Amino acid sequence: MLEILWGRLVTVMDEVDAATVRTAFSTVLAEGRDFACILLDVQGRSIAQGTFSTTGFVVTLPRTAKQLLKKFPPAELSPGDMLATNDPWMGSGHLPDFSFLSPVFRGGKLIGYIGTVAHLTDAGGRLGYFNGVDVYEEGIRLPPCRLFDKGVANTTAFSILGANVRASRLVLGDIEAIAATHQLGATRLLQLLDEYALPDLRDLADRILTLSSASMEQAIAQIPDGEYRGEMLCDGYGDPVTLRVALRAGGGRLSVDFAGSSPQTTRAAINAVISLTIADTLFALKCALIPDIRNNEGLSWPIDVDAPAGSILNASFPVAVQARSKTSMHVHQAIFAALAEALPGRVQAGSAAAWPISASGIDAAGARFATHFFLHGGKGATARSDGLATTAFPYNAAAGSVEIYENSAPLLVERKALRVDSGGPGRHRGGLGQEMVVTSRSPNPVVVWVRPDKIRFPPIGLAGGRPGRSAEFSVKGEAPNLPTSYELLRGESVVVAPPGGGGYGDPFDRDPVAVAADVAEGYVSLDSAAREYGVMLDDAGRPDGEQTVRARDRLRSEVHDSGRRPVGA
Amino acid sequence: MSSRYRLGIDIGGTFTDFALVDEGTRTIHRHKRLTSPADPSASALEGTDELLERAQISGGEIAMVVHGTTLVANAIIERKGAQTSFIVTKGFRDVPEMAHENRHDIYDLNLRRADPLVPRRDRYEIDERIDSDGVVLRELGADDLRRCIDAVAESESSAVAVALLHSFRNPAHENAIRDALAARRPDLAISISSEVSPEIREYERMSTTMANAYVQPLIARYLEKLEGGLARRGSVNRLYLMLSEGGLTTSHVTRLYPVRLVESGPAGGVLYSRLVGRAAGVTDMVAFDMGGTTAKACLIRDGRPRQTTLLEVARASRFKKGSGIPLRVPSMEIIEIGAGGGSIARLDQIGMLKVGPESAGAIPGPACYGQGGHEPTVTDANLLLGYLNPDYFLGGRLSLDRRAAERVVSARICEPSGLDLMEAADGIYRLVSEDMASAIRVHVAEVGADPRTCMLVAFGGAGPLHASYVARALKMRGFMCAPRPGIASAIGMLDAPISFDVARSFVAKIKGADLTAVANVFAELEARARTLLEAAGVNKSAIAIERTLDMRFAGQFYEVSVPYEDGSALTSAGLCDAFLSVYRSLFGHVHEDVEIEILTCRLRGTGPQPDSTKLLAGSPATGTGKPKGQRQAYFREWGGMLSCDVYERAGLRPGLAIPGPAIIEEPESTTIIEPDTIARIDEHHNIVVEFTNSTSSDY
Repeated sequence: MLEILWGRLVTVMDEVDAATVRTAFSTVLAEGRDFACILLDVQGRSIAQGTFSTTGFVVTLPRTAKQLLKKFPPAELSPGDMLATNDPWMGSGHLPDFSFLSPVFRGGKLIGYIGTVAHLTDAGGRLGYFNGVDVYEEGIRLPPCRLFDKGVANTTAFSILGANVRASRLVLGDIEAIAATHQLGATRLLQLLDEYALPDLRDLADRILTLSSASMEQAIAQIPDGEYRGEMLCDGYGDPVTLRVALRAGGGRLSVDFAGSSPQTTRAAINAVISLTIADTLFALKCALIPDIRNNEGLSWPIDVDAPAGSILNASFPVAVQARSKTSMHVHQAIFAALAEALPGRVQAGSAAAWPISASGIDAAGARFATHFFLHGGKGATARSDGLATTAFPYNAAAGSVEIYENSAPLLVERKALRVDSGGPGRHRGGLGQEMVVTSRSPNPVVVWVRPDKIRFPPIGLAGGRPGRSAEFSVKGEAPNLPTSYELLRGESVVVAPPGGGGYGDPFDRDPVAVAADVAEGYVSLDSAAREYGVMLDDAGRPDGEQTVRARDRLRSEVHDSGRRPVGA
Repeated sequence: MSSRYRLGIDIGGTFTDFALVDEGTRTIHRHKRLTSPADPSASALEGTDELLERAQISGGEIAMVVHGTTLVANAIIERKGAQTSFIVTKGFRDVPEMAHENRHDIYDLNLRRADPLVPRRDRYEIDERIDSDGVVLRELGADDLRRCIDAVAESESSAVAVALLHSFRNPAHENAIRDALAARRPDLAISISSEVSPEIREYERMSTTMANAYVQPLIARYLEKLEGGLARRGSVNRLYLMLSEGGLTTSHVTRLYPVRLVESGPAGGVLYSRLVGRAAGVTDMVAFDMGGTTAKACLIRDGRPRQTTLLEVARASRFKKGSGIPLRVPSMEIIEIGAGGGSIARLDQIGMLKVGPESAGAIPGPACYGQGGHEPTVTDANLLLGYLNPDYFLGGRLSLDRRAAERVVSARICEPSGLDLMEAADGIYRLVSEDMASAIRVHVAEVGADPRTCMLVAFGGAGPLHASYVARALKMRGFMCAPRPGIASAIGMLDAPISFDVARSFVAKIKGADLTAVANVFAELEARARTLLEAAGVNKSAIAIERTLDMRFAGQFYEVSVPYEDGSALTSAGLCDAFLSVYRSLFGHVHEDVEIEILTCRLRGTGPQPDSTKLLAGSPATGTGKPKGQRQAYFREWGGMLSCDVYERAGLRPGLAIPGPAIIEEPESTTIIEPDTIARIDEHHNIVVEFTNSTSSDY
């Protein structure tokens, strides 16, 4: 049965995924979950991935595989080989993302590949900057390379890599660990084929891919034929960045065109390569159209993605790309904004961005430390539900433990709390953002860098919902103009406050009982309940029906008069 | 304890099961009655009376009452605990709802998480701070303490949880808050995190402490009633409760740490499997309990159930890891699979057959129950395949309607998919069985165990129906089904020793670590465990101590559990070697030149293992061993409909061999014996099937 076998392939990749998380050193990998374990068939098509694998890599890895196999043709591969590259244009968009590919043989015959795309701890280059000019200053670029040859490590490649990255022991340790997970995956895959007496993956791959493609076509057919436009303004770095998208649906196909988006920039490392743009586009479409089908390349077949060469969503070699998620993480929102009209029940208002905080230095005992901490703002609301507070979207990093953090660096977290009133008002409210205050306790300067976003352009509301509250960021009590890295002396602090998610639907349509409950829990202030929702509460905290109706009527006419038109309404 | 009687009581949501063992005559008196939902202690006591009367003994003659209950888990799942307040370090009251900030389903735009047990308005911040070395950075101010105590004391809460940052390193502030609270409101149930869960990672510790406080008043009331009732029957101070980890503890300890009982019910079932396996000379097995809506499984290796220190309950998205409430509790690692006899089969949006996690429940139940169910379920498929006897379900108490099953499977599965009726029913059967096998496969593989060396020990209403398929899919040695699976847990818990797990986090790099400090932590843990066990009546000399350390390569995010032999010297080199050896066995490789660190010290104290030879005493065999009839059943891999002998379980004598295909019926369940296999009845009346050669599945 196809269903059983398909499920088993995902289980194999879940095992590879679990082994990766449990043996990784890279924070971005283990907690940030910025990696994917993917099974490719003999033609290099992705047919299954781990349940929690980063979505987009399912389309980037087959593109990477083509490049790797061009240099190392399948006929020249052996069991125990592992190919790799971190070239942004071949891989997934910036140097820390390494793509690894290991062939799997059955009875001497190549039957497919196990691949991993993983964000490793370091790739060399300048730390914590945004104002990069080109990729050369961003670290070491490993061209397609055979890192393991019949199970034997390529010591030349390893030593060059090791000499060019910080914490080389951890970077190389992660590569060794990933090679081991591939062997585990290969063993499990062969056991599966043995069990079902299958010669190879050919038939299974064809069936999975064609079925997935056909189901995506059906899902696309729910969109009435026509063109839908969306636009997003992003903070960028210095100058705002515009993402513009046109979706054209018809005949079971969907074309996604980013013409009109900002050009690439040489002033900041926020350029996205086309692979990444495709990946983020497909993620958004999968969430909206076909969330329950197991992810594979077939889902992408009916979708064409294009962005003008030289634009910020299809950057040309060799511009700087290190901080490309400052741009790419907004792609899904441009798509949701465009789809809001065609499929209002299937999209989500704007979400906060991921805010990694990195810190490094020398502690009191003279030992070097380097830590990363992820924190998140609110998720956007949908037609069906309020957004969750402090939840990663579109990427899926987990927040670390404050106690583990304080054990690994001379830092003190003074506060980690929800931001009241930060959720965008709407019929469904956006999720709340948070505020975290980190203070140095080190006698030596600590270098800290943060990647704030949505300070100028907060997460948008949809269908009449209001935007979430903007992010805030300050260092030593001052809000910097442009984010860079900072030196904290003992007692000095950074305050990072990611935004709330956007609201969905008219806030004056929100159930007054829900607003009263939000006030009781302290998610929404009394003042905001009255001003943003038009809900008046009595002394016991219950909504006053009559006063609420009056307040809402008055507020509606004020909104009308001021011409305030929410996005997507 | 001179008396020869021991009583096991297992309270589930629907039934309460009783097993009274007479160690003199080697007989077991069994009993089952409905649980009274409003007061489960009432049905427990009434059932005890009924059983005592039947056995013609008095309550005073019972040496030990062993009790397992789903009360704690259900109180959390159904949110029926006490109104609870929570006191936390200033700046951190939102940690319980921020959770891990990630998504348990990456594509679901409407996903939900379980709400914390204490809502935000009942969480109070207190101005204090202790750092990662346990040094006080900000003293607990008297004014702030008073303000906080006043607020809690004047609230309607009957329980309070206190969890401050780094309290596992320095509990002074938590202790001070507890003392002040107790002085002000002696009636409050108070849980402090440095006692309930003195382990690093604040979110899990807060969540566990809250859950403990949340169920404390409920459990205290319940135990008072139960103990009072037992005392009136002459059984004083003889009540022991089943812990999630598989040991027993006193009601006194249970009152302090009720959250430790969260897997109390299922743990008894795992112990029963172990008992059955052990009697048959099997040490490696998978306990497999498949019921109406879920299935549970636990790997037992060398006679030891797989252990964990972190559980999750009350998932908001059923069976999705990460959507529930984490509990840092020593426990058997029992996996839960969202499918059982009542699970609904459907075609998804691309025409793939799916089973569960939606369930038809007891009402309306599967379509064949004839109570208005109109979705095809696993039970409907089992009926169509000929596995279930329509006139002997639950011993004939419910007659199954084959036509109704046919109608729903045709309408919901056959028509849209083009499959014929038998293909569809077989598809449902195989899919649900494969789901079980997949989950067990991962569970077994994660610890590097090999399913080929394990037996599947199946129980629960649906377990024996699917056991052969599941065991074969996993290439296991075979499977076995014990008699009277319905009271498995009540018997299993009588096999548990008195024990208790204690732990404390202590973060230290191995190289240059002050191992005296680590030894001191272990000494403190050991003293605590010994005190608890001795108070529970265990003889000092009979206490066994096991130590483990949670260790990792510095910079990694997951720890591995490293055993540390009792009595061996605590040296850096010894700990390194022990860690590397465990790490290599789990992951196949190790790293050189990377620092290794300790995160948590754990210790288990165990009393003597009870004599369990009496627990499997069977009733004398009376049957003829002849089939009671024949019927057709579907076995796709053997060509389709085959004629099967049908046996009554009660009539099977030890030593009997039954060649498949065959069906063995009993009121509580039905065992399928597949073609090309032979079922043997062992001396304990177990059905045992050992596969001789591996039959490969096809597709």
